[in-house]
Amino acid sequence: MPGMLEGKQAVAHLLRRTGFGPSAADWSSWSTLSYNDAVDRVLAQLDEPRPADPGDFDAYVPGSIQQVWLERMLAGTGAFAEKLALFWHGHFATSNAKIVDPELMWRQYALFRDKGAGSFRDLVKGVNRDVAMIRWLDGNANRKGHANENYARELQELFTLGIGNYTETDIREIARAFTGWGSRHHDFVIKKHFHDEGEKTVHGQTGNFDGDDVVDILVALPACPKFIAGKLLRFFSHPNPTKEEIAELAHVMRSKDLDIKATLEAMLRAPAFLDRKHYRSLVRGPTDFVIGALRAAGITEVPAYVHGAVDRMGQILFRPPSVKGWTSGKGWLSSGAIVERLRVAGLIGAAAPPTAADNILEVAFQGDVPDTLRDTLRNLDRPKRIATILGGPEFQLF
Amino acid sequence: MILNRRQFLGGAAAAGAVLALPRLALGDARRAAAQKILVFLHLNGGNDGLNTVIPYKNPRYRTLRPGLAISTGQVRKIGDKLGLHPGLNGFEALWKRDRLAIVNGVGYPKPDYSHFRSTEIWFTAEPEKTPTYGWIGRALDGSKSDAPLRAVALQKEQPLSLANATPGIVTMTDFRRFRVPSGLEGASDLYKRYGDMAEARGEVGRAGAQALEVAGKIAALRPAGGPFYANIGRDLRMAISLLKADLGLDCVQLSMGGYDTHSNQTPSHQRLLSQLGNNLNNFQTEIEKAGLGDKIVTVVMSEFGRRANENLSGGTDHGSAGPVFVIGKGVNNGFHGEYPSLDDLDNYNFKYTTDFRRVYASVLKHAYRMDPKPILGDFEPLELFA
Repeated sequence: MPGMLEGKQAVAHLLRRTGFGPSAADWSSWSTLSYNDAVDRVLAQLDEPRPADPGDFDAYVPGSIQQVWLERMLAGTGAFAEKLALFWHGHFATSNAKIVDPELMWRQYALFRDKGAGSFRDLVKGVNRDVAMIRWLDGNANRKGHANENYARELQELFTLGIGNYTETDIREIARAFTGWGSRHHDFVIKKHFHDEGEKTVHGQTGNFDGDDVVDILVALPACPKFIAGKLLRFFSHPNPTKEEIAELAHVMRSKDLDIKATLEAMLRAPAFLDRKHYRSLVRGPTDFVIGALRAAGITEVPAYVHGAVDRMGQILFRPPSVKGWTSGKGWLSSGAIVERLRVAGLIGAAAPPTAADNILEVAFQGDVPDTLRDTLRNLDRPKRIATILGGPEFQLF
Repeated sequence: MILNRRQFLGGAAAAGAVLALPRLALGDARRAAAQKILVFLHLNGGNDGLNTVIPYKNPRYRTLRPGLAISTGQVRKIGDKLGLHPGLNGFEALWKRDRLAIVNGVGYPKPDYSHFRSTEIWFTAEPEKTPTYGWIGRALDGSKSDAPLRAVALQKEQPLSLANATPGIVTMTDFRRFRVPSGLEGASDLYKRYGDMAEARGEVGRAGAQALEVAGKIAALRPAGGPFYANIGRDLRMAISLLKADLGLDCVQLSMGGYDTHSNQTPSHQRLLSQLGNNLNNFQTEIEKAGLGDKIVTVVMSEFGRRANENLSGGTDHGSAGPVFVIGKGVNNGFHGEYPSLDDLDNYNFKYTTDFRRVYASVLKHAYRMDPKPILGDFEPLELFA
């Protein structure tokens, strides 16, 4: 079909969107697959169990949780599951800047990694009980008679429905349903004496609701699958999905009882996913850029400088700037960030093994290289060639 | 569809009246005469206006704030009925030097209590529309300037206030990071060549080319010295260097976080306001010493004030209207706008008395010598400048 990505271009597009792009080591095992077989294989990555933490792992060693997560992304075994966890981390954005307990952040990541591809209903109920989230949105301050509305608001605005799909009354009533849902040390607890047992009216339904009842009500509203489908499309597929495309995917999500894996599969197999106009239409975020560049250059360990670099590019894992999550698209292209991308490209270029360097145009672009880039690469030595490929504009898009 | 600058201006000219922007105003006027630079500071999180500018004689204040009210003895009484938080000795000093205009009760109709949405509203000045460009960004679009550096945000992400159709908006957190590594000249050239391409390639190309062009200039700067401290102090030191460097800037935006004081507010609010006041007072002194006093107007805003009554966590929840501070030589030092009623509240939220676009209108008129109407709509500018 004209206008559609085909062959290895389609497969590489799939790997960039559902993971962190092909690596110098594994591209040859993907490049000959049909697109549909490649989709089967990335979907199977969603079932890859979360790897065991390294033997000497200590979440309290500064940077360790980011390091281990980046290592998992770089390894690529469960690439789609890690990318999906990154999506949920941005969606339920919680920052260690307030929590100041990396063990709790690590547990939240485990929730996204383990339950991210299952039922959205179960995932949100997991978030209700997530201690990092409880601390993030002041769950322990939410008590009968003195509701704290922080979680009730963001649960609707940012997590399930989107702005404009709830009233201030819904916020107040939902806050009451969550009264007493708090934490003690690292554990979720329901503090019965703080819980409001009265009737609440939430989106037109009345009853003695608690936090889980609220989630059942919210995810059953038509706005919920629409909101999530739109976000999935913008993150994985293309920047400006139409209302019809969102409605279609929302319909799938509803008919599959909010199963995320089934929703993602429908998205990946929809013609729009391979539409040429969406080819390289998204801007790589800092994590995507760094991991994608390391993979393309054949580097298999996460260098220490990455931690400072992703900070200056605007994305420290476990430290999103606000509960709204990270920016996207043009928002990543601040000038300080681009200069930092060039710097990192230079470092990766200098460290890349010669074998991978010979192959990088194929791994990064499947040979589909604009003339402008090809001209520029002439007469460059190997490290500068790699640096120019990774730091140039084409590689910032995926 | 993403338009580059040429297409944007060309298309607008072809469409005749579509682009009702005052294209004369900014760039030309600046070169001609008294164009000023706007320093726009966002107190991120929602500053508690009631404990910032305090109606200390109103008994209702103490009823609403049994735990958080500032005792009358501690209030810095700069007016008959209104005073400043004890941490704001810096603002009191500015006030005594005729450098501080305080606008009370600033907000907008149908207040939104979400940080994000309310920030969007303040940054775009378009409460009824899906946000696209910022209010400062639109003002910059109104100018013919092709300066590669129009506005700097001293933060990691470009704030929506500066988003616009034309290039020249730069974000940064550290000057030294603008040194481009050697050997990447080819990559730099690629960004320029991508700038003429469509869609995402063009966007990446233009953003990159712009970054690299200004990088050299910025890499040579060092933060100014002076009695500054904390993150806001560090950012103001950078601001001073940028302002002194004569880069053709129209705006420097800063953000100071920590104002979302849902719990245990008293110590954190004291610390925040003390840092804010001292650093801004010193900033004003430094820029006047550098001979830039007539060139700079500082506006300090927050996305909302906080609720009039305190909560049970020793803090305050998201609210509505709050004060805006306009600092500089030539301001009408004093209070502007009516302090919102503490009796006539809406669910414990203040009813705004002055639309924030009246503040912006005054700033655009005075600082950029431009007709604010095409940017903001029909809002009567406040008399904030002498």
